[in-house]
Amino acid sequence: MAVVEAAPTLVSGTGEERSRSWLRALELIVPGAVLLLVVGACFVGPLVLPVPSPVGGNILESNLPAFSAGHLLGTDPNGNDVLARILHGGQSSLTIAIAVNLLGLLAGGTLGALSGYAGGVLDSVIMRVLDVLIAFPSLVLTLAVAQSLGPSQTNTILALAFFSVPAFARISRAATLRLREQPFMVAARLCGTRGWRVLLRHLAPNIMPQLITFGMLGMGIIIVIEGALSFLGLGIPPPAPSWGNMIAQGQASLSATPILVVWPCVALFITVLAFNLLGETLRARWSGR
Amino acid sequence: MSVEETGYPPFPAGETLLARTPDRARPDQGGAAEPLLEVTDLRVQFRRGGRRVNAVNGLSYRLPAGRMLAIIGESGSGKSVSVRALMGLLPETATITGSARFDGSELVGLPEPEMRGRRGADIAMVFQDPTRSLNPTMKIGLQITEAVRAHADMDRNAARDRAIELLQLVKLPVPERRLVEYPHQLSGGMRQRVMIAIALAAEPRLLIADEATTALDVTTQAQIMELLLELQERLGMAVLMISHDLGLAATYAEDVIVMYAGRAVEYAPAGTLFEHVRMPYTQALLGAIPRLDREPHAPMPSTPGQAPDLTALPAGCPFAPRCTSADEQCADEPPFAEHEPGHWWACWHPVRDGA
Amino acid sequence: MTTTAPPDPRESRVLSRVLGSPSVRLIGKRVLMAVPIILGVSILTFWVLSLIPGNAAQQVLGPDATAAQVRALEQELGLDQPAVTRYLDWLGGAVQGDLGNSLISGQPVSGELGSRLAVTGELVGLAFVISIGLAVPVALLAAYKPNRLVDRISMVVSITGLSVANYVLALLLVLVFAVQMTVFPAIGFVPLSEGVGANLHSLALPAAAIAFPLFCFYTRFLRGDLVDQMQGEDYIVTARAKGIGPWRVLLRHAFRNSSFGLITVVGLNLGTLIGSTVIIEQIFALPGIGQLLLQAINTRDFIVVQACVVVFAIIAVLANLVADLLYAVLDPRIRYGSR
Repeated sequence: MAVVEAAPTLVSGTGEERSRSWLRALELIVPGAVLLLVVGACFVGPLVLPVPSPVGGNILESNLPAFSAGHLLGTDPNGNDVLARILHGGQSSLTIAIAVNLLGLLAGGTLGALSGYAGGVLDSVIMRVLDVLIAFPSLVLTLAVAQSLGPSQTNTILALAFFSVPAFARISRAATLRLREQPFMVAARLCGTRGWRVLLRHLAPNIMPQLITFGMLGMGIIIVIEGALSFLGLGIPPPAPSWGNMIAQGQASLSATPILVVWPCVALFITVLAFNLLGETLRARWSGR
Repeated sequence: MSVEETGYPPFPAGETLLARTPDRARPDQGGAAEPLLEVTDLRVQFRRGGRRVNAVNGLSYRLPAGRMLAIIGESGSGKSVSVRALMGLLPETATITGSARFDGSELVGLPEPEMRGRRGADIAMVFQDPTRSLNPTMKIGLQITEAVRAHADMDRNAARDRAIELLQLVKLPVPERRLVEYPHQLSGGMRQRVMIAIALAAEPRLLIADEATTALDVTTQAQIMELLLELQERLGMAVLMISHDLGLAATYAEDVIVMYAGRAVEYAPAGTLFEHVRMPYTQALLGAIPRLDREPHAPMPSTPGQAPDLTALPAGCPFAPRCTSADEQCADEPPFAEHEPGHWWACWHPVRDGA
Repeated sequence: MTTTAPPDPRESRVLSRVLGSPSVRLIGKRVLMAVPIILGVSILTFWVLSLIPGNAAQQVLGPDATAAQVRALEQELGLDQPAVTRYLDWLGGAVQGDLGNSLISGQPVSGELGSRLAVTGELVGLAFVISIGLAVPVALLAAYKPNRLVDRISMVVSITGLSVANYVLALLLVLVFAVQMTVFPAIGFVPLSEGVGANLHSLALPAAAIAFPLFCFYTRFLRGDLVDQMQGEDYIVTARAKGIGPWRVLLRHAFRNSSFGLITVVGLNLGTLIGSTVIIEQIFALPGIGQLLLQAINTRDFIVVQACVVVFAIIAVLANLVADLLYAVLDPRIRYGSR
């Protein structure tokens, strides 16, 4: 019968009803604006705002309360300006997170796409290796590596990127497997398009959204882990500021000046929350039609 | 497909449809005076992302006890939505207005707890895809006894006995063994028999078969339809059959409603409808059925255009944009009326016999 | 029936049916796959640690040690051997439960690990019980009426909770419950042998710090899965059409199916969770395996580091394995080999 076809009618699969479109737009705009603000404040703020140096503070100006002259958020026990440390700390957190996710996305994305597209032995080998990496207690080994290589920004980036590869690879592989049998992919192959060209021109643009969405959620995760490393003294080495080592430093005087822990915690929380909200919104958009 | 080809005897034309006492009605049913189900001006509207989708637009029909009525239409014509509205199975985004009286009592607007008491007990439903309609992780037995115990105060053993009885009723071999099996261990036809057994658990007076055979292969389809027919006669149930398959409706149903864009466009006893098609849309549907007497390699006739956008229905006849006999008169909505005895349609330019 | 033929055909048929049953084959396959993964992890650990620049013997002995002393210790520890030989030596001992002796204390690592695993295990177990115990009822309540008040609150709380780093939460808990209100101790551990109450009291804050993000995660996961089913699955409509109550539909049909997925997720979590105990044990000064690892890292006791990392990996792999197997045993679709 040409006219009619059997399909579930309107009732099934309506999914969660979304509220009006401007509310939906807010889901993207609010976390996006917060992130822009955070990134702008951390990277541009120290250049244009009158904030003092984050290190080498005067010990005579230690532990000033918030709203002191010249120190909006006060100073820490070493007399360093807290606001300046927050902004510079955010700079290194964000730099690390962006670098780690870019490396992970490129390496993992390529590996997963190759694995899913090629299939066969290559696929099995790559997947088994990734299984090992996934089973690995990554934070634990990162700690060991970071300690022995000496804590530094580059080492932290490399160690974290190494362990973020499997997650990206899995997502990329799953997306590739779904796409592989799609008519346009088959058509591209039948037209004699070379393998790498199919990967680059047809596959990459289609799996990118999913990888970027995961990258957003990954930003939050990496910022938290980097904070953990610094907190344990294995990330950014003091006196250079980072949110993690500021929290660790504040912990020492938790009962006397709890506010020193609060500032970096708030900065960390807001940034991670914004990344998570943005990632969740993107994910909901991509999965729900 | 003509009636003769289906082997189903045509109904005597001219007999008043709604007044006719159904041959298979229970003796205690009032018959003509009080139909089991009377739907009047039923409307269903969905809110979807700020827009409003009019899925059902003023549907009216009567179903006497013990009779089989088929509702035919394309996907999106509102046929499934209209029956789910009767059972209160639509999501919260749906607004239902109009009236649907079951055995004299109103179903539309019935509070959920009361509606729950009627689901299964008064009206039961068999769905399209038995693979998806049975819970994959629950044993068949539990899925049946659950339906049995929903409306009867029964202990486990009694419910189990009843489940075996029900499986025998739907002619599933070795019912005791089926009880401890999972849906995926059964074939599609067997699964649909289980679905029917579940539907029959509380002895409903109306069984709705929503595309109940669409997902099955043709042989199984016939077996399931025969089973439904037999059960209808044995239990004196009314059956409301939802389908997109005109041939199936012609073979098994006594009365047929053709729906388009959420409203009824033609309504007649099955024989009358196929002998004397009046609505151009119904004729288009009939024309789309492959026939053996057509020239080999002749192009399949199909209805041009697409099903209408339910968020913005045009004024007048909804089929007009796709209709070959449409003219300016069709900008006014044609009334759905009984133009010939027992034969209702909504069209300004009905098809003439033999056309 | 005759019983003359020596190999009873029925017996062998039973045996082959058991061995050939999908679930047994599946279990066998998964167990076999776990072995190379654990081996791979141990090789990777060994390799990474051997890449670390600097001489382990020199570091143990300190900068004042003479070259002869260093060489003597290297020989004693077998550090002069090629990496492959050292790995095989280590592996030979490891499969017999000998993970070597600590470079610092000289004590066998296995014994130390045992007592510390108990502390970490209790901490993680407690966190799981709290998080799942709270997440299940909250998710059910939220999914019962999606997009209503309870649901909205639970969603806001859970996305917020997922954005709080556990060490931030730990410090917050210490600040409020130990520093301000002094109802729980800020640091320290009371073993079970000194009373269940005191033991739980000492673990309350660290367990809560681990449990809260988990609770948020499970609530989100479970609520999402339940709502998807309630709104999209045909068997839910069937269940409702039977006329059974809404709670019954939710519990017996939707939750039952969600629970299989939840088990898998819990298993996968255990791997990452073990990592997060390092920082929590550090903050609360708990004598767990994470604290041991951190100490070993700081004292460059690579024998202990190696042992800890491998133990962490084995726990993660085993947790995934158990989750997989539980899923296979519980979910009839897999049990009967339909998928």
